[in-house]
Amino acid sequence: MKNHFLFPYWCRYLGWGLVILHVPLSILGRSHGMINIMDPQPRDQGIFAGEHLFFICTTLIMSAGLFLVAFAKEKIEDEQIWHIRLDSLRWAIYINYLVLIISLIFIEDVPHMLELNLWVPLIFFIIRFRWVIFRLNRLLSREG
Amino acid sequence: MKNNIRVERAIKDITQADLAEQVGVSRQTINTIESNKYVPSTVLALKIARVFNKPLEEIFMLEEGD
Repeated sequence: MKNHFLFPYWCRYLGWGLVILHVPLSILGRSHGMINIMDPQPRDQGIFAGEHLFFICTTLIMSAGLFLVAFAKEKIEDEQIWHIRLDSLRWAIYINYLVLIISLIFIEDVPHMLELNLWVPLIFFIIRFRWVIFRLNRLLSREG
Repeated sequence: MKNNIRVERAIKDITQADLAEQVGVSRQTINTIESNKYVPSTVLALKIARVFNKPLEEIFMLEEGD
């Protein structure tokens, strides 16, 4: 298959590294009071406020990590993988809009909805894509 | 669409992995094509037929309802 603007295979590991890195960073930020998800009004406002910068950094790390995991090439990137990729993306968009519409109707917390919208498509895509590939591998090992 | 890749492989005495390597796809893809779970693209079907030195229609056949 020709290159379809996918990241190299090793980017998957870099992506997982960034996703894992995001966890202690957020915990650290929360314990130091830099992120307070329960507080709707941050103490210091503005683009360059510490709280906002920290939020942007951790969100960017998580998003970049998920993005790399989702769009890194497989070892053998053939047409079936491409087909599964497209199908998983379609499902991810369906689920994303379903979640978005439900949250639009029932939840009034717009900032958290945005955050949800940022993760849901990528996370669902990764889960669905990996699950189908896992099933293919299982089928292969079962048939020998 | 059905196919007789499994039979052709047995005649030529090559494994799924050998065929996969020759046409540049993964073993999983050859396995799913053989079990009629995945319909290959025209390019891949032609490549597979070329490995067996046979016309496409002898490897892949349309089923009723296709």
